[in-house]
Amino acid sequence: MRPPWRHLQWLALAALVALPSLVEGSYYRYLGIIVFIYGIVAVGLNILAGYAGQFSLGHAALMAMGAYTTALLSKALAPIPFFQATGAHIWLGMAAGTAVAAVFGGLLALPALRVRGPYLAMVTIAFGWVIFKILQEWVSVTGGDLGIGSIPKVRVGPWMLQTNQFYYVVLALFVLALVFQYRLVHSPFGMRLRAMKHSELGVASVGVDVYRLKVLVFIVSAAFAGFGGTLFAHQQNYISPDNFQFFSSVFFLLAVLFGGAGTQMGPVIGAAVLTLLPEMLHDFDKFRLVVYGTFILLTLFFLPTGVMGLFERGGRQFRLVAPADGGTRAVAQPLSGLPDLAGAGASLELDRVSRAFGGLQALREVSFRVEAGTIHALIGPNGAGKTTLINVITGFYRADSGHILVDGQPVSLRSMSEAARHGIARTFQTIKLFGDMTVLEHVMVGFARHSRSGIWSALAGSRRSKEETLTTLTGARELIRFVGLEGFEDRPANALPYGHRRLLEIARALAVRPRLLLLDEPAAGLVAGEIQALAAVIRRLKATGMTVLLIEHHMDLVVSISDRVTVLDYGVVIANDTPARIQRDEKVIEAYLGQAHAAA
Amino acid sequence: MTRATAPAGPRERAPAVTSSSPAAIPLRMYFFLQIALSGLATGAIYGLIAVGYSLTFMTTKALNFALGMWVMLGGMLTFSLTVQYGVPPLVALPLILILMLALGAVAERFSVAPFLRAGSDVWVMSTLAVGLLMIDFAEIIWGRSPTPVPSFFGNAPVRIGALSILPQQLFIIAIACVVFFALDLFYRRTLTGKAFRAVAHSGEVSALMGINTRRVQVASYAAAAAFAGLAGFMVVPLTLAEPQMGTVLGLKAFAIAIIAGLAAPRGILVCGLAYGALEALISGYLYTGIRDILGFSLMILALSLKPEGLFGRPVEERA
Repeated sequence: MRPPWRHLQWLALAALVALPSLVEGSYYRYLGIIVFIYGIVAVGLNILAGYAGQFSLGHAALMAMGAYTTALLSKALAPIPFFQATGAHIWLGMAAGTAVAAVFGGLLALPALRVRGPYLAMVTIAFGWVIFKILQEWVSVTGGDLGIGSIPKVRVGPWMLQTNQFYYVVLALFVLALVFQYRLVHSPFGMRLRAMKHSELGVASVGVDVYRLKVLVFIVSAAFAGFGGTLFAHQQNYISPDNFQFFSSVFFLLAVLFGGAGTQMGPVIGAAVLTLLPEMLHDFDKFRLVVYGTFILLTLFFLPTGVMGLFERGGRQFRLVAPADGGTRAVAQPLSGLPDLAGAGASLELDRVSRAFGGLQALREVSFRVEAGTIHALIGPNGAGKTTLINVITGFYRADSGHILVDGQPVSLRSMSEAARHGIARTFQTIKLFGDMTVLEHVMVGFARHSRSGIWSALAGSRRSKEETLTTLTGARELIRFVGLEGFEDRPANALPYGHRRLLEIARALAVRPRLLLLDEPAAGLVAGEIQALAAVIRRLKATGMTVLLIEHHMDLVVSISDRVTVLDYGVVIANDTPARIQRDEKVIEAYLGQAHAAA
Repeated sequence: MTRATAPAGPRERAPAVTSSSPAAIPLRMYFFLQIALSGLATGAIYGLIAVGYSLTFMTTKALNFALGMWVMLGGMLTFSLTVQYGVPPLVALPLILILMLALGAVAERFSVAPFLRAGSDVWVMSTLAVGLLMIDFAEIIWGRSPTPVPSFFGNAPVRIGALSILPQQLFIIAIACVVFFALDLFYRRTLTGKAFRAVAHSGEVSALMGINTRRVQVASYAAAAAFAGLAGFMVVPLTLAEPQMGTVLGLKAFAIAIIAGLAAPRGILVCGLAYGALEALISGYLYTGIRDILGFSLMILALSLKPEGLFGRPVEERA
């Protein structure tokens, strides 16, 4: 999939390389350097906001951490003869600046773990404000409002880099930043990031530690910002708090949005346009905020996906495809061979499990056993506590009391991701897919539990990361075929018909290679043909030896495929028997239809 | 990106402590109370702005991120009307409120509503953009330099026991309390108020029950703008009127709304007043420079420990 404008990048790069020799005077080189530096910061923010979906309005402060650290360190080390001779203090300062920013990025992630949306925006603004104020007030170190002057220029050995040479250095670093972004986004790690943007629960359900993922992405993003800050300090030779105000953070987020959040080249376009535009309108300095404000509004109204969003997504725009055959396609397709699933399924035993929400006792001493390798249905009227039970089994809720035993071993799970790592996978009553990510990508994310390549192998572009992508690609294709979604691999999930989304969620859960699969109302909202397809999939799962716990309202489906049925009512198990006998159980009929029918 | 630093919030003009040294309470205690009292008015202003955030967040799960600029607009209009054109404050206030209501509704239509349907957080940027436009236009109309607005009640301090307070400050606290009390009654006792709460709870269900949710949403943004205008009207005699005055006010008010809990309007006044007093105490006992550092750090901490706010009820995530 190589879009034709791919070559445009190389053309643009060639133009940038040639630029200094084409134009006279250092002004344009200087502008180029600034664009590249802002571009590096914007790339970092793009990874965070565009790909991982975490807004930040505090990136100017992270840039400041880098700038001030390198300014102070390189100035302090400058008198030492060794550094005087080698110029290494500057490079040391830049490394330290990047590291300090990364550490603060990690700290910033801690509140971000618990809040989203406007709250996260506020946390990042407050963080930026605190840093800004500290720079202003800690005069003895930061020089207060006057800032820090005579920051050394970048040197290689005894050679001071002139603007012309520094231009190439920064250009190279900028290209490197883009390469890192490319590798990150195209790695298994990057796929998890993009998935998290759309559904944290969905990505946790396949064994991804969302907390860890968030902290890592904040650290990486902050490192980009901090590194940009160090370059900025050595370029300008003078920094003050004014360079790193709240409005600068707005500028960076605007650059990302305008260029196209979550696109490869977006931040480049954004940083370039937003830096050059005010320069061109130099005489209208009074209107700088008007320019930015208008730009934001126009972008949001007319370019909601940004400039690059028009191009990068242009190749795969799909409309909602209604199944021509009423959704029976999945059954019609012969399922070619079973993928290597878990092998032996696990047994599950619940021992007096209780859970209350405030005064509401959702589960009251629930005990039953799910035999290994069986299909066990859990039914009950709405509000009976079925989904709560699944949430407790998968560690999303903690049980107030009672024990959960998997294969006879008591387990104590603290999160859904931990459950997935124990081989317990689930689907959701309200589908939790990853927006416009493709069917194939969804299932590939599902393999996260088996992934051995993290962020570092992604950034390094290591062979392991690439090999893993290939293996999971093969595995994902098999699973997609298994649930009958072949031919839809490249469709964005949000363009799939509803029934196919349910199947996709199952395929994603299967990628966990679970020993126990929990399906939360998989047939809800499906038409008859789709339910048959679903039943076929579940039967095939049983054939692999997997244990399936199925919450369902469609009694036809329950009766036809389950080995045993447990009935919950008001958080209490009222029956636990074979489907045939459950259908005749008076207590069950009463729970569903009321006293009169039970008596009749 | 080289914009002059915004001033760090309203500068409290605490009444001079000179004449009668209080005999009834120890001097240290007296200073403590006097300083805390001087911060209450600023706190009431924060609370008034913060309730605007809460109002729109409850009805739309979004808010006017640049509400501080609307405070500024209210302040600048107050300056224009009362100082430049000599309109009596009592006439100026309704004019300002009506204008703010109208502008707030218009801004909702253009900078919030189009993005709510998309279900994204883009309104953060769009409302911020409107705020940036407002700053620049204000600078073009009124210039950058801060201008004083005389107090509506003169500058003779009012005595409460041994303590003293400016009449303007007393006025602010009183009005804020009245507004919050009225809002509480409105939410609980009137049908429209109940409609607001219903929309806050579930827009879809309220629509099914025949509530015009769109109208409630627009009304909440109009009301938020009017509260901001009122805050601007009352605060400029204490501070100065200038186009940059709104940024920090708006941020701090947002911080307070978050600390209290965006869905807890009752707690917001309490938090606002407490935050104002705390700020004054930090300025009085430590030094002014560290005030916002502590204040915002506190907010980050509060949000990390109790994301739903001190007065908010935790929302169980559903899977």
